[in-house]
Amino acid sequence: MGASKKESVEVDKKKKNSKKNQPPKKEKHDTEESVLAQKLEDTATDYKELSADDDSEDYKSVGESEAGDGESSGDEGIHNTGSSEGLAIDGHSEDSEPDQGAEESDSSEDEVAPRNTVGDVPLEWYRDEKHIGYDIAGKKIKKKERQDKLDSFLANIDDSKNWRKIYDDYNDEEVELTKEETKLVRRMLKGKAPHADFDPYVPYVDWFKWEDAKHPLSNAPEPKSRFIPSKWEAKKVLGLVRAIRKGYIKFDKPKEEPRFYMLWGDDASSSEKTGHLSYIPAPKPNLPGHEESYNPSLEYIPTQEEINSYQLMDEEDRPKFIPKRFTSLRSIPAYENAVKDSFERCLDLYLCPRIRKKRINIDPESLKPKLPSRKDLRPYPATCYLEYRGHTDAVMSISTEASGQWIASGSSDGTVRLWEVETCRCIKVWEFGEIVQYVAWNPLPELPILAVTVGQDVFLLNSGLGNEEIQRKVKELLQVETPTAPVDSGNKVSGWSWLQDDEHEGIRLRHFKAVYSVEWHRKGDYFSTVMPAGDSKAILIHQLSKKFTQRHPFKLHGLPVSAVFHPTRSIFFVSTKKNVRVYDLLKQKLIKKLETGLREVSSISIHPAGDNVIVGSRDGKLCWFDMDLSSKPYKVLKCHPKDITNVAFHRSYPLFASCSDDCTAYVFHGTVYSDLNQNPLIVPLEILRGHAISNGRGVLDCKFHPRQPWLFTAGADSLIKLYCH
Amino acid sequence: MVARKKHYRPPGKKKEGNAARYVTRSQAIKQLQVTLGFFRRLSILKGIFPREPKKKFKGNNHTYYHVKDVAFLQHEPLLDKFRDIRAYQKKIKKAEAKKNADLATLLRTREPTYKLDRLVRERYPKFVDALRDLDDCLTMVHLFAALPAVERAKIDVELIHNCRRLSHEWQAYVSRTYKLRKVFISVKGIYYQAEIEGQKITWLTPHAMQQVLPDDVNFSVMLTFLEFYETLLGFVNFRLYHSINVKYPPILDPQLEALASDLYALSRYIVSNSRTSTLEPEAASSSTSQQLEAQEKEMQADESELRLAQLQHQLPSNEPGALMHLMENAECEHEDDQDTKECRRLFKNMKFFLGREVPRESMLFVIPAFGGVVSWDGEAAPYKESDQSITHQIVDRPTQGHKYLSREYVQPQWIYDCINARIILPTEAYMVGRIPPPHLSPFVDNDAEGYIPDYAETIKRLQAAAKNEVLPMPGVGKEDLDDPQNLLVEGYISRAEANEAVKTKKKMATLEKQYHEELQRELQGAVMKKSKQGSEEDAKASEESVPDPKQIAEDIDTMSKLGMSRKKRGLLEAIEKRKERNTARISKLKERKKKLKSSEN
Repeated sequence: MGASKKESVEVDKKKKNSKKNQPPKKEKHDTEESVLAQKLEDTATDYKELSADDDSEDYKSVGESEAGDGESSGDEGIHNTGSSEGLAIDGHSEDSEPDQGAEESDSSEDEVAPRNTVGDVPLEWYRDEKHIGYDIAGKKIKKKERQDKLDSFLANIDDSKNWRKIYDDYNDEEVELTKEETKLVRRMLKGKAPHADFDPYVPYVDWFKWEDAKHPLSNAPEPKSRFIPSKWEAKKVLGLVRAIRKGYIKFDKPKEEPRFYMLWGDDASSSEKTGHLSYIPAPKPNLPGHEESYNPSLEYIPTQEEINSYQLMDEEDRPKFIPKRFTSLRSIPAYENAVKDSFERCLDLYLCPRIRKKRINIDPESLKPKLPSRKDLRPYPATCYLEYRGHTDAVMSISTEASGQWIASGSSDGTVRLWEVETCRCIKVWEFGEIVQYVAWNPLPELPILAVTVGQDVFLLNSGLGNEEIQRKVKELLQVETPTAPVDSGNKVSGWSWLQDDEHEGIRLRHFKAVYSVEWHRKGDYFSTVMPAGDSKAILIHQLSKKFTQRHPFKLHGLPVSAVFHPTRSIFFVSTKKNVRVYDLLKQKLIKKLETGLREVSSISIHPAGDNVIVGSRDGKLCWFDMDLSSKPYKVLKCHPKDITNVAFHRSYPLFASCSDDCTAYVFHGTVYSDLNQNPLIVPLEILRGHAISNGRGVLDCKFHPRQPWLFTAGADSLIKLYCH
Repeated sequence: MVARKKHYRPPGKKKEGNAARYVTRSQAIKQLQVTLGFFRRLSILKGIFPREPKKKFKGNNHTYYHVKDVAFLQHEPLLDKFRDIRAYQKKIKKAEAKKNADLATLLRTREPTYKLDRLVRERYPKFVDALRDLDDCLTMVHLFAALPAVERAKIDVELIHNCRRLSHEWQAYVSRTYKLRKVFISVKGIYYQAEIEGQKITWLTPHAMQQVLPDDVNFSVMLTFLEFYETLLGFVNFRLYHSINVKYPPILDPQLEALASDLYALSRYIVSNSRTSTLEPEAASSSTSQQLEAQEKEMQADESELRLAQLQHQLPSNEPGALMHLMENAECEHEDDQDTKECRRLFKNMKFFLGREVPRESMLFVIPAFGGVVSWDGEAAPYKESDQSITHQIVDRPTQGHKYLSREYVQPQWIYDCINARIILPTEAYMVGRIPPPHLSPFVDNDAEGYIPDYAETIKRLQAAAKNEVLPMPGVGKEDLDDPQNLLVEGYISRAEANEAVKTKKKMATLEKQYHEELQRELQGAVMKKSKQGSEEDAKASEESVPDPKQIAEDIDTMSKLGMSRKKRGLLEAIEKRKERNTARISKLKERKKKLKSSEN
């Protein structure tokens, strides 16, 4: 709409111009011809106006032409300037309007060039000249020779066509109208539309949209935006300019670079270090074996039963690939897991942590520690030489006499037997009628006294060995004086009493709970007993010579298992189920606590030098403690699959042994060096077998011979065996 | 009670040890300020992988990255690039949301892109490194070359075409330079092994079937991998082509490419004539789109061959007989190792013809790689089935109707077995309609495995015979006499007759086997009796004196284990376990074999 409004503005301007021009025109042309010409012009313009585009202004001019008065020249001016189509139709009419030639020359006179180019100047200026103006080349156009008025009049009378001749003042020539033109003129004179085909009574189309408007035109003043250049458009243009300048919009296509080029030029030059962590290449996928073939050997194909058995397996154990056989290449189907396998490989590649592992072909032998050969470590017990038969039930405990000539054994058949080592002869039998838990020889050779635990009692028995003097001494010792009785009664609260046992010719030491074990002091005067259920009085230390009993003065943390005297010093080891506590008996204080880390300690043994301790446990582990080193075990040997029942050190040889319920006994070499910097050398030497399991128990006790490298083992199968080198 | 921290660290104290050297994945993501998807993508492209700290300070179910690795990612320009791209995508999205289609299209035209070539160089500073890691790359590219384009999974056609192109280029190189070493048809696909610059590169191509796309696969991860692999393989191919003086990428008119079979004939023709003219694209331009479609299928199979021809064609063309020249050159090249020479000579002077049902793509790759000449049953084949010079026709159908007497009809497995054995095997076992002998994996070292399948042994014997240039073993020679294959070649003989011959042969064989077995049994029985007596005596002796040596050995073993540290003991136990498993497997195989034999008898 803006554009059309502008046009109308222009039109208005021209209207004014034409109004200015017209008054002199009328003054000039007083002649008939000029009137006719004027009329012609008017009608022509009318016609043109009608044939012009159907704008909203049209209906107005149509109405005027219908009214038929040719006076309203102002409007005609408008339409003339508007367009030239109407003029093109009546080709000559332009010649007949000299006054408007100047105005129209630029637009409507393309086809017939005007001969006179003087423009819109008063022709009277040329009245006295010989020429009327200039042609397009700038040459003067001469005036035609003037005829006599009379001659011309006569000529006009003679000429029958005179009436259609018109004199063109401007170009100084006579124009003869054609028939069509005259027809047009006639129609116009009648007040009709000049063209015969034109229908002035076409049904009216109301192009205007009457939206709330009473009038088709508004007399509101033109908005300013119509007069000034659009800011929005300017912005848009500016944006485009900027985009081009910045290179957002590119008119030339980017140059195609070759996608691939020589990436690795010289390998020699590319050996620069990345300075990054080392790249660990992913392991390559496994190469397929025979079984993955489409046509494997028949033996690779599992039977139907085997395939069925896979279903019962755990999903992780199930074989991922079941070999199949296709008899020809064409029958292979698509592998359904192809994409999935590839995807899993991808996951492995980017999600699996990578470690560089040296996968050398390790010789399993090389993993085993270098140990001195066993031959060099002889002698040690290796083979079973003797068996001591006589017990009718499991042999619970054995003990060797200090000289090494005798052994005593306690069994669950309620007897204690005394054997001669070399002859296997049973010298003596004591009957108790109750399970004999433990036997222990007095370590002094001149005091062949046997301590035996049966139920709640500890019996001190005279073995009846040795010469008379010794016998006398022993008998003396084993006499409980009556005066101790009141002491006993006084101690009844604490629950132990020294009693004379006439049946076995010894002392019966009564406890208030079942006694588990009894251990002698190295000097043979003191001995300790352990009552696991005895709470604070679980561990008692007895003095044989004075028939005196005292309580172990320290608090126990946990159930006591065994209590042992140090072989040389007055140090006392008490082992509970978890730990071993070491006390100094003279200073009456705790020296050390050995943390075994075992579940349940079953036995303990002290190295004859006293600085090393071995502890056996019910989870089959053997701990070696170096007392000087640490409170943690120096070495843990997991040797037995079942409980370790007992551990033992040899008194003179560097040997130690462990026996277990799995019917084996291990013999180890254990050298302790006097050099403190050197760790003890522990070498397993031999596994001793031979006992049989009975009631789920195997070997119950093992003891070394005091002088020889021999080992006695007591089995639950009621046998005692001697292993010699 | 307030839960105490497991490891108390006074404030302000720096971390030490593993906690300072490693970060978990979520920590890394936080540090890099990226999303998990971004991180994943970046680490795949950069080849960053988690590492295993000695002590897992956050627990076992965390993934740990080395801090240096994370820093490496942080300094990656690609990270910024990805961010830019993401911002740009947001712009487009915004424009679209505002219905500013013009802007959206304008933005789309200038989307930022990125290149991965720097990363390839960074990850593989040397060409050999790239070759070493090429296995996965090739497998993946070959897999995608066989996948259908799926819009849902964002696998577009272009990608698949590119994969196909790359894989064919690779195959063309391998085939042309005779680098292929081993082929194995498994249920999963066909394994190929090539040896390039001393690197053994193994890859798997799926069987030419419609692949199924499972739902539980994250394709975006695979596509990221593929993106890198495509770049890598492109550069590797470039380098390889460069090394044999061939321009890369091979310039192929796309239309010609579609019409590969025509081009094949054309280029062959050109090569055989003068090798001076250039490719003429107008040959293809006349074709209609329908033809294109029809031959699309053809293309897949022929492309490798086409490339081969192309390779030959692109040699310095100013000289007539360029191909011949190259061949001479190659022969002069003494740097070719023994293996390559052997491979080149395997199918020399042999002409193959493929039946319609034979997997053509694989055959067209494999046979030329071992010096053979091959044609197929199709429009553009270099020679027709009726060619008299064809020595072997490869057929995979139950029966073959018309037979030429001058050639042998074998199943495709024969080709692969020959390649793996590196000798020309006798063809009678691979005849049409028979069940071929077992196809054995060339990747297994039978001796190390401890179990040698029967057919491997026969192949071994044949190889030895071929080496000594002597006729195969007498037994084999005899078999040849009544070999139905020979009879077939000699004259027309009905299938029934052939079958009969086979049956009689089998019978003979079984009888022979029985006899042998009986003999063996007798021998064993004698030995057994002896050994039984001996063992009884032994037992007595052992009871009397020494415990049996087995026990002693075991004891020694257990005792030696006692002194070991826990770590070493574990290692030892693992070794022993593996050994045990192996022996169990082998014994199972043997047992199965025995059962099979007994059921046969």
